[in-house]
Amino acid sequence: MNILSFLAMMILIITIITLIFGIIAYFLYKAREKKRAKNKKTLTYDEALNDIGSEYIFFE
Amino acid sequence: MVKNIFIILLSILVILILCFLLYSFYIYFANIELFVLKTGAFVILFFTGLVIMRYMLLLFFSMLKILIKSSDENYESFENKDLRVTLIVPAYNEEVVIEKSIRSLLLQTYPNLEILIVDDGSKDRTYPLAKKYEFTKGLRSLKALTKKNGGKANAINYGIEHSTGNLIMVVDADSKLNDDAVELMVRYFQNPEIAAVAGSVYVSNQNNILTKLQALEYIEGLNMVRNGQAFLKLVNIIPGPIGMFRKDALYEVGLYDDDTFAEDCDVTLKLIMKGYKIDFEPEAVAVTEAPENLLDLIKQRYRWTRGILQAIKKHSSILWNFKKSFAASFTLWYMLFEAVFWPFIDIWSNLYIIYISLTHGYSILMFYWWSIFTVLDVTGALYCVLITGERLSLIIYAVYYRLFFVQIINIAKILSTIEEWFGIKMSWGKLERKGNL
Repeated sequence: MNILSFLAMMILIITIITLIFGIIAYFLYKAREKKRAKNKKTLTYDEALNDIGSEYIFFE
Repeated sequence: MVKNIFIILLSILVILILCFLLYSFYIYFANIELFVLKTGAFVILFFTGLVIMRYMLLLFFSMLKILIKSSDENYESFENKDLRVTLIVPAYNEEVVIEKSIRSLLLQTYPNLEILIVDDGSKDRTYPLAKKYEFTKGLRSLKALTKKNGGKANAINYGIEHSTGNLIMVVDADSKLNDDAVELMVRYFQNPEIAAVAGSVYVSNQNNILTKLQALEYIEGLNMVRNGQAFLKLVNIIPGPIGMFRKDALYEVGLYDDDTFAEDCDVTLKLIMKGYKIDFEPEAVAVTEAPENLLDLIKQRYRWTRGILQAIKKHSSILWNFKKSFAASFTLWYMLFEAVFWPFIDIWSNLYIIYISLTHGYSILMFYWWSIFTVLDVTGALYCVLITGERLSLIIYAVYYRLFFVQIINIAKILSTIEEWFGIKMSWGKLERKGNL
């Protein structure tokens, strides 16, 4: 096997691995964002005011 | 002079190497007998040819732009400080970086300057931290404004409405400018046709392989491309970290819109559609924090891709309307090529070559395919390093750039495009700052 064929084979293998890795990474990102969105359910005072459409919020 | 001769000789050498590689690539493809595979090979060769042409043209335009700029006496002798510049920094939860950013803005050499920090309803200490720096002294002032959270576009518009300058400069809160950035950019507005000027963006946190690859991408893929586009005065995106606009022109196009996730691209397109010219100043530099891990990088590219597609979709009526505005139609097609066509073709070509390598034993094609783009990347990187004075070691990363980085980014672009196509809901996706400015 000459050097060119060897390099070609290396690049081919790396490309296949990178393509698979790229797809996995994308779905990992999507899963992370979904998880973050689930955990991030805290409201600010302004958002709470906005939600209830009132001027004040009374805490018990 | 020596540098110019070197660049010309380098260009000739690159053209010869590319011709050889393309010829070798073609020879192997010519051996394929199946019609379907032959058609695939033709598509690959056609798009590869287009990409090489685009690359070489941009490189050539970039050189011409530098030559023209160096011979422009008006630009060199410009001393007018009457134009008032309002520098707007929209900020949302930027407590980690806001002070560093403000301190860099205070060092600007341009005297007639108003700085407005617009806090977009942050939930952290961004506003009080910015408020500490308020001052008014002669022609210079800094003011911190706060408003209910409404997105970046609305924050910029709020700043524009409260501005006193004739020129508006928008700077991201996670960016730091070089001291003469404003002064360098103001000069372009002598020409009344110029509505906006983009600056260069460099990566500040080059502390791992991913950020180094992004640094290479920024100087080569973004800054060199913008310099080439600036030869035609058609820069298609004013980058978020550094851009200056004529205020009247912004009002003429209805300021920033908040209906896309790429408000910078959208406003640039609107200006081009109005017939304005957009220029680029390579020496006005903003350093910005790049994502330090892969998932954050994908998150950033996801937003960029979908934002650009939304902007293209919004102005799609102009795609075929070359008579109305040739420049705008051309820009939209160019963006469509970069954002959609090329990532698809690139990944498809890789899959195609993998397939014929495994079925026909033509793995050598993968070597030629990679070599063509790596030669282009190394040349672009070398040229940019020579022009910008960035670190020479970045050139080494050009070898990995095509092998790993571009593939992953293109996959993210394709999957984001599919999500945009199906209208899947998205949020802004703010990146967490590390403060490495």
